[in-house]
Amino acid sequence: MKIHLKIKRFNPEKDSKPWWGEYEVDVEPTDRVLDALHQVKWFQDGTFNLRRSCAHGVCGSDAVRINGQNKLACKVLMQDVVKKDGDTITVEPILGLKVIKDLIVDMEPFFAHYRSVMPFFVNDEPAPADGRERLQSIVDRERYDQGTKCILCAACTTSCPSFWSNDEYVGPASIVQAHRFIFDSRDRAAAERLEVLNQQMGVWRCRTAFNCTNACPREIPITQLIGEVKQALATGEIK
Amino acid sequence: MTVMASTPTVRKVSVPKTWDTRMWQFMRWSGVLLIPLAWGHILIKDVVIGVHDIDLEYVRREWATWYSFWRIYDAALLAFAFAHGMNGLRHVANDFIHNENTKRVVSWAILILWLVISVIGATAIVGGVSK
Repeated sequence: MKIHLKIKRFNPEKDSKPWWGEYEVDVEPTDRVLDALHQVKWFQDGTFNLRRSCAHGVCGSDAVRINGQNKLACKVLMQDVVKKDGDTITVEPILGLKVIKDLIVDMEPFFAHYRSVMPFFVNDEPAPADGRERLQSIVDRERYDQGTKCILCAACTTSCPSFWSNDEYVGPASIVQAHRFIFDSRDRAAAERLEVLNQQMGVWRCRTAFNCTNACPREIPITQLIGEVKQALATGEIK
Repeated sequence: MTVMASTPTVRKVSVPKTWDTRMWQFMRWSGVLLIPLAWGHILIKDVVIGVHDIDLEYVRREWATWYSFWRIYDAALLAFAFAHGMNGLRHVANDFIHNENTKRVVSWAILILWLVISVIGATAIVGGVSK
């Protein structure tokens, strides 16, 4: 079928403000939005820019706003966003981060927040006597399982109204990453991470809008994980 | 062996409580209290009595009955509803104000406004309505 694709374009070297590029694209219902974007890039307008890498929902580099909702362009099928010939799809860069060109945004502020929560395993205790890995129970492993699914696509953080209004907010993705280590029974830096999050621009900036949970392409219950971090701060117990 | 445990390990963590931790807790508790307080107020004043039948005489009679129950009720409503709303306003202001100095000035202004209105309200509740 033929669809009408509207892409928000912006080249800071040429344009004073963003504009809508409009394209007619032939697609199959089972094509992905990324395929339509490729058609534009490869066959209609080579100046159009987008970021993508694996194209299979793993690397998280093609998060964009499709019809007003944050999604991975490589995971959304045409049949889920258009119904018939001539239907329109709008594609915009994710909000709250500076646009470098077209759909490409500057991810550095996002990764700066990510680094601030120490997203790495910390345990200076001696390794087990057998020299192998630190074992943990199945339930202890399950406790932080949701956080391990995050692919750092920024769909959650850039769908958050608190982040839109103030980009100093650490954001849902960073809190999910902090949760992954705070609730890991083998980790020993929970207090340091919680201290980072126990600030106005930490977890307390979350207004439980649930946009992040809706936006997550990995179906992580982000708002719930943020709530668990708040609970740990309020009670002094990680459980 | 720990790997066979059936419940997650519970760990204690010591993180000093900040102003925002306490305000978050206050917002939760006051939010829960506001459900009966605000709904009770709306039902009685707007539905059962009706706003056109409320005058100083009504307030005097109400505060004189039930051993000051309604004074305590109104004081609780003032304390929780107003503080809850003003803290919400502080959060909204902090969302949109990016300059640290302006943020501090606005936060203080909200605190002073809250204090002044609360003192006026509390004075009225404690002082009562003269005949």
